Amino acid sequence: MLNSFKFLKNYKDNLTLAICILLSFLLISQSNKEFFNNFRLKSLDFFSFLYSPFNWIDNQSFLIKRLEVLSQENLKLNLELNLLKNQDSENARLRDFVQLKEKVSIDFIGADILSRGFSSNLSSVLVDRGSIDGVKVNFPVMSSKGIIGKVISVSDNASEVQLISDVNFRMSVKILPDEVEGILRWVNDDYCEVFEVKRTSEVKIQDIVLSSNLSPFFPEDLPVGQVIGIYDSTDKTSKILRIKLFSDLTRINQVFIGLKNK
Amino acid sequence: MKDYVKYLIISILLQLLFSELISINGVQPNILLLFIIFSSLSISNATLSTLLGFSLGFVGELIFYSGTIFGISSLTFSVVGFFASKVSNNFVYRNFDFYWIIFSILGIFIFSFFKYEFYVFSNLKFILGAIYMAMYTIFVGFILVRLLSLKNEILNAQN
Repeated sequence: MLNSFKFLKNYKDNLTLAICILLSFLLISQSNKEFFNNFRLKSLDFFSFLYSPFNWIDNQSFLIKRLEVLSQENLKLNLELNLLKNQDSENARLRDFVQLKEKVSIDFIGADILSRGFSSNLSSVLVDRGSIDGVKVNFPVMSSKGIIGKVISVSDNASEVQLISDVNFRMSVKILPDEVEGILRWVNDDYCEVFEVKRTSEVKIQDIVLSSNLSPFFPEDLPVGQVIGIYDSTDKTSKILRIKLFSDLTRINQVFIGLKNK
Repeated sequence: MKDYVKYLIISILLQLLFSELISINGVQPNILLLFIIFSSLSISNATLSTLLGFSLGFVGELIFYSGTIFGISSLTFSVVGFFASKVSNNFVYRNFDFYWIIFSILGIFIFSFFKYEFYVFSNLKFILGAIYMAMYTIFVGFILVRLLSLKNEILNAQN
């Protein structure tokens, strides 16, 4: 007994470190469990008032510049909208003619980014919309320009969004105009790769990349990015496309959550 | 004790400021890590430093959003707190900058290694992210050390 006490006294520091490391590993291994996720999100939700003043300053400082950009975008979109309205009515008539199923439309709600996380490299962010607003896990998340990620956990007033820049993020996409299918993964900054693209497929630089109907979570036809490079895979059996995302992941302050996944 | 609370509050405010307003391409300094290093250098009791590191990491991840994996900060802060408290007064006096920079780099590499879920084995991109984060943290650390005269504060606390 005395020896045990002596041992504990002599190695108190090392034992404490060992216990802390073990507890930390236990926490890391339990991170994906629902109970831990809910507990963590509820706590972040509670402390979200800490971020508010900083978010407010952030929003104010970019407000004028953002207004200018939005006005320009609005003008451009209005012109495009008039053109698309004509094409839409024609499209609807033709779809009806060949009896194709009606496409599902999604509603979006705007959300502010509560936190980008401390010491994060932008693989996920916390936004100020939760289950009260109708947000659920796996709902798509977009910026005003294109897809940026999906919801991975939800509390009452906040949600965690996994960004495209997470190394584990994968998404099924198609490349217009031939609707060539592939799988998208992040490379660096605003650049991604689409792999598993058939070698015989016709893809050109500047082709547009949209979400595919093969994606289990994302509704089809949401904008993703543009092709900027085409390479052969190392085994020469398929193509790899280099994509520039439409959204700048480092400059997002507001996002839009699609209130329906596939 | 009063000083520790004061610096903890300053660290939390700075962490909020840097993570929400002054991040560069998503890269931010880890101010809480700096707090653990500086406070552990002034505490010679390694058990206390380790527990302080673990607790701050745990509470920090409940207050600050730190990504999808929970527990990385507890691990990093307890390891760094343990080793930082082992450095004796004499060494701190002579090589203060060297020690806090080494511990910052150690902490950030442990943090990045687990944050990227062992991605290091398939791709070394995590190293670049960790280097940027370490550089930014050290840069901010230098300013804080000079601005708040932290070396003298730590040596006084040790005595």
